[in-house]
Amino acid sequence: MKYDTIIIGGGLSGLVCGISLAKRGSKCVIVSAGQNALNFSSGTFGLLSRLPDGRQITSPLEAIGELDENHPYRIIGEDKISEYAGMTAGFFEECGIKLHGNNDANGYVVTPTGDYKPAWLAMEDITIFPEKQEKIGEKVLVVNFKGYLDFNSAFVANAFEKSGSSCRMETVSLEATERLRRNPTEMRAVNIARVLDNESVLSEFAEAVKKLIKDEDVVVLPAVFGLNNAASLDILKNNIGVKTLFVGTMPPSIPGVRTQMLLKRAFEGAGGTFLMGDEVTGGEISGHRVLNVKTVNLGEVMLEADNFVLSSGNFFSKGLIASPEKVYEPVFDLDVDYLKDRSLWYDQDFFRKQDYMGFGVKVDSSLHALKGGDAIDNLYVTGSILAGTNQLYEGCGAGVAIFSAFYVADSISGKKEN
Amino acid sequence: MKGNEFDVIIIGGGITGAGTARDCSLRGLKVLLIERNDIATGATGRNHGLLHSGARYAVTDKDSASECIKENMILKKIARHCVDDTGGFFITLPEDDLGYQSKFVEACKAAGINAEVLDPKEAILEEPSVNPDIIGAVRVPDGSVDPFRLCLSNIVDAKAHGTKILLYSEVVGFIKEGDTVKGVKILDHATGLTSEYYAPVTVNAAGIWGHHIAELAGIRIGMYPAKGALLIFAHRVNGIVINRCRKPANADILVPGDTVCVIGTTSTHVPFEECDNMHVTPDEVDLLLSEGAKLAPVLSSTRILRAYAGVRPLVSADDDPTGRNISRGIVLLDHEKRDGVKGLVSITGGKLMTYRLMGEWATNLVCKKLGVDKKCVTAVTPLPGSETGGLEEVSKKFWTNPSTPQKATVGRLGDQASSVFLEDEYDQSLVCECEEVSAGEVNQAIANLEVHNLVDLRRRTRIGMGTCQGELCACRAACLLAKARNCAEEEKSDLCSFMNERWKGMYPIAWGETLRESAYTQWVYSGVFGMNENN
Repeated sequence: MKYDTIIIGGGLSGLVCGISLAKRGSKCVIVSAGQNALNFSSGTFGLLSRLPDGRQITSPLEAIGELDENHPYRIIGEDKISEYAGMTAGFFEECGIKLHGNNDANGYVVTPTGDYKPAWLAMEDITIFPEKQEKIGEKVLVVNFKGYLDFNSAFVANAFEKSGSSCRMETVSLEATERLRRNPTEMRAVNIARVLDNESVLSEFAEAVKKLIKDEDVVVLPAVFGLNNAASLDILKNNIGVKTLFVGTMPPSIPGVRTQMLLKRAFEGAGGTFLMGDEVTGGEISGHRVLNVKTVNLGEVMLEADNFVLSSGNFFSKGLIASPEKVYEPVFDLDVDYLKDRSLWYDQDFFRKQDYMGFGVKVDSSLHALKGGDAIDNLYVTGSILAGTNQLYEGCGAGVAIFSAFYVADSISGKKEN
Repeated sequence: MKGNEFDVIIIGGGITGAGTARDCSLRGLKVLLIERNDIATGATGRNHGLLHSGARYAVTDKDSASECIKENMILKKIARHCVDDTGGFFITLPEDDLGYQSKFVEACKAAGINAEVLDPKEAILEEPSVNPDIIGAVRVPDGSVDPFRLCLSNIVDAKAHGTKILLYSEVVGFIKEGDTVKGVKILDHATGLTSEYYAPVTVNAAGIWGHHIAELAGIRIGMYPAKGALLIFAHRVNGIVINRCRKPANADILVPGDTVCVIGTTSTHVPFEECDNMHVTPDEVDLLLSEGAKLAPVLSSTRILRAYAGVRPLVSADDDPTGRNISRGIVLLDHEKRDGVKGLVSITGGKLMTYRLMGEWATNLVCKKLGVDKKCVTAVTPLPGSETGGLEEVSKKFWTNPSTPQKATVGRLGDQASSVFLEDEYDQSLVCECEEVSAGEVNQAIANLEVHNLVDLRRRTRIGMGTCQGELCACRAACLLAKARNCAEEEKSDLCSFMNERWKGMYPIAWGETLRESAYTQWVYSGVFGMNENN
């Protein structure tokens, strides 16, 4: 089977790259093993919130010059990053995903543990505040589903109390969600969202919330609405009547799952082929070029293409694998930037910077993968598998995923035009 | 008697202190138990969880061996909800001397341990994970025991018989009149306040920390801190305990327990200052892995869940640098006779297996000092949880058609499961999916089992002890604690401590699937929750 471009990995980066290419008429396939970071996303995207030395960043685009030269942002270039940042919301809008936020300054969102986290853009569900601990109202009612343990109303209420509101907590129990509780493991976000996608259940829920309101001016709900369509959010807001905000839950993330689904739909709508639940196991390389790759499901049938994009993610998605002796990239055995001494991989404090999270595949100035020190001319690398950045620490995971995907899509299309 | 006066004060909430408190309270004494941390935080919670048959010590230490087998048979009766009667093998590998086997079997018989020589082929059939190259195998009545459950059951029973329990309370000094200990000064770590408690007899049952306690009374015990490191694997690869049939050495016991198995140990002398903060080194991990794979080759490709280490409270007899040759026997010191200090007793040495006997010896001495003439009944009185029938029977008694969380609760608590309210579907919601711990069980522990924080909760319910090592369950449980205690702010920092405690056992072995799991957990806590070092 022959394609123009084969993308390995169906997460945020692979999908953005695939959509960009497919829209320009390229025949693309994405091979996706399954779950990716969007499934446990916070409903927000980060561009840059902290420099590797720990300094907090409020204006991310201005701080890019302070990053190391091998950081993907520096490889792509400051001007390009600004251009791509300006394009992002529009790109997602075309895929049916409304993002809000500010390119010039990070805002803050309230997290499932009631912390404030810097954010660049957020999905519709999640509210971005310009300042930390912004007061959202005088009296706040935090409502949860009875028996749903993945929304920490005590932590969330605590966050709003710290910002000066008085909070009350209530739970709602609907016949439709009660059914989920008969199996002790079913009361989880996706199942609740699925039940609440039914319009009559949704309005029943809104009525139940309305009855709980005494003198509150704000209602806070878990972000478990609108699995297939964010329209549920507006329906709820209108029916409840008072200002209604959503706060993220523990994984899985409904805004993230919805975003992943809409991106996949946009990719397929633009003519791309999405191979779900398949895994690239290896590839043939000859003369600085990848000739083909093979997958678990296709067996001996090789997938051929002019260009290949590796967006296979970091350790969680098995884009990188660690053994006691080394860290390697399992598909092409590319050059990986990592520390040889395993004792240096970790900090004993779980919440400090973990250096292993900064390991990644080495690339040249066009994001071509390196193998044995040489660039592979038709193999590009995007997203969290890239070396040169500890994305979790720097809060730049989504930015790197999206901008490297734009950059590679531009390179591949440009090459064709030339 | 005033509120701060007792018949006996017991220092140490490990298995020895808990067993002694139970025995004392069953004999009608008014007991105060003091622990500077939580129950089972020292060596009690940091060992194999091996229900020794005593065979391991048969050749080198006959007294310990016969104590072990007697206690083994007692625990199988009084603590059956804590015990898994797996049986054990002592295997001989090609590199070992098969001649040791006959000496071993003789010694076992002399100590009263049933040791049956098996055809190696038969042993492999019975335990398919065992090294197929074995040239000898002996069956002994080893098993596995959950030390947290065992310790907790003793505490629950002591409390039911009137024992006052003070956790997170540290003994900072003794109240002495002349050469007599009259009581103790306590620092409450939660409030920062000190207070005084009085009793005619104080028992030092503080494990390796007993060295320091004795020093507070001006006494030197001469303890020998011997660190032992262990690894937990994510699967129960063996159904039967596997030991090496040779003189005790490193990493020669593999014990199945619940859904996991544990390989250990090493033995290294460590300074007293390090006993509070044991870290497992890469060398220890490598040694445990390479030696462990000789017992069961599949271990080299099995995911490791966690590395941990404890400190054995041995009492020095000679200058053995490893501590392997020091007797594992019980040491009961009457400081009146030994050092001229009245009103103070130390109970140390020994092992998890012989905790009940240690409690009996210590209580006998306490009773003698107090002039109390009551017989010990702990050998024949089942612990709470084992008072009625087997697990099947218990389960059916409570529920006609038990659900998975109900079965899991009975598995952990035995007949004490009746104290957990699991009728409502809300109570059955799972907090911890790996270990199947329900909201009802967590709330019961919070209400009744002296839980101060999430780590305490883990020791009582097993939340966070499964394959994910506390990814989401910790956060769910933190929220239940925050609601029950109305302390969201404190619970947030408690959650951080819990995650750090889990990470401590993971980073020494964080590669492969364990690193993958850690990367996910870190992404959730830092990336999604926005928690960082400032929390």
